[in-house]
Amino acid sequence: MKFVLPRGRLLDDAIELLRQAIPSLTIEENRELIHSNGDHEVLLAKPADVPTYVEEGADVGVTGRDMVREKSADVFIPLSLPFGVCRVSVARPEEETSSPEGMEGYRIATEYPAITREFFRSLGVPVEIIVVAGSTELAPRAGMADAIVDVVQTGNTLTANGLEEIETILESSALLLVNRISQKTKFDRVNELIYSIREVIKNGT
Amino acid sequence: MNGNWINQSKSLSTVARVLRENYDLWNYREILLPAIEEAGEELDRGTKFTDGREFYLIKPDITSQILSRLTAEKKRKLFYISEVLDGETSGDWQFGAEYIGGDKGWMVLEIISSIITGLESLGIEDFYVDIGSKQVWESATSDLPDLRDEVFRALYHRSFDLIDDLDITEKKKDEVWRLFNFRDQRCSYTRLNEILKTIDDERIFADFGTVRGMHYYEDLTFELYSPATGSPLGYGGEYTFRNADACGFAFNLESLLDVFTGLEGRDREKLGGTNKKKIRRARDRVENGVTIEVKS
Repeated sequence: MKFVLPRGRLLDDAIELLRQAIPSLTIEENRELIHSNGDHEVLLAKPADVPTYVEEGADVGVTGRDMVREKSADVFIPLSLPFGVCRVSVARPEEETSSPEGMEGYRIATEYPAITREFFRSLGVPVEIIVVAGSTELAPRAGMADAIVDVVQTGNTLTANGLEEIETILESSALLLVNRISQKTKFDRVNELIYSIREVIKNGT
Repeated sequence: MNGNWINQSKSLSTVARVLRENYDLWNYREILLPAIEEAGEELDRGTKFTDGREFYLIKPDITSQILSRLTAEKKRKLFYISEVLDGETSGDWQFGAEYIGGDKGWMVLEIISSIITGLESLGIEDFYVDIGSKQVWESATSDLPDLRDEVFRALYHRSFDLIDDLDITEKKKDEVWRLFNFRDQRCSYTRLNEILKTIDDERIFADFGTVRGMHYYEDLTFELYSPATGSPLGYGGEYTFRNADACGFAFNLESLLDVFTGLEGRDREKLGGTNKKKIRRARDRVENGVTIEVKS
């Protein structure tokens, strides 16, 4: 089977989970982007690209719920995984007092344009979305945005940059993704993997 | 369309041509639709823009576009080829067929059979059509009316978590999972079973985990795929249109290109000999609808 795993903070937990669920699967520590291992191939990709890889043909993937929502990929999502817990939130400079409902005309910097658009549209608040590729929390300080929508784990990064988290848009954790066609053409192998991962999660190992 | 677009366009055109011939033989009529439509209640899926007064859609969802222009008094068999946009500036190339106002049982048989002959004309033999049923799920959840949407959502994502979280008995959860994992060439749903028996093709399955577009379709839904590619080759199903039964299907042409290896000369007759002989035979063949390749 072809797996695609996210580079970055979810990778170690994702590898550990798969190692426990598939003892025959080994992934070298050298962080090469592609590992072949007998019947299995493991690709490492940007977390945001994992849903697309799975939609387009990788059998199984792991990435955050935030990325899946952002990409709206047409994939199966059989399981939530017990790591990568975070949230996508609206934050603005501490000295401001505005709520999201009062952000009409604000420039919002984010790596999540689709989630941000959907959120402010649901409030009926028109905003200008500025797409950035990282270090979103610097945007208000640099004067390029009035507020941000970003992933938050502890909130320390926001505080360190003089920002206050004011509303959670999405609670996120890692998800197991399965290609819709692989679920049919590799039915037994995919189901076996899902049941193994459920056991690993249930046993809390 | 990415990469080497001339080659891709050539392949796309070949696939479209073969499918067009296939649906001509099934007596479907090609329809040509405008690229831009005014957005409205019946027509709201596509890439939207405004001129400051009205909202318009560029290359909208074709089925909706067809239905917004039709009345249901007549039986109609239509097909189309178009790029379909869904909010972006590039979209999926689709070849679709719609059978409206025919006999409900026959329309499904004909649409599935036309899929089979279309793919075989392209030399694609390694494919499956899985047929799901909304009716089966409505029966299975008849005792859970408040949870039906949640069950359908779980089905759509094939989510163990959502099923686990449902406030239903373990026995009911097992029943849901059994149905969810059911895939066979015979099934307990009489109507679908009759269709499988009548079509009698080992690549056609009842699969109750096939739940795409459950809200849109009336009962049966189809998903076409091949082990050779991870993207569905097409999808469709039964719907109603102004009280008339209808059935439609759309091939995703770019996914078909993943499994299409060319016609390898099967679609054309090679002509040799003297120019006089070649031109006489060429005219005869073309008049009879045979594609030719003349050796120079």
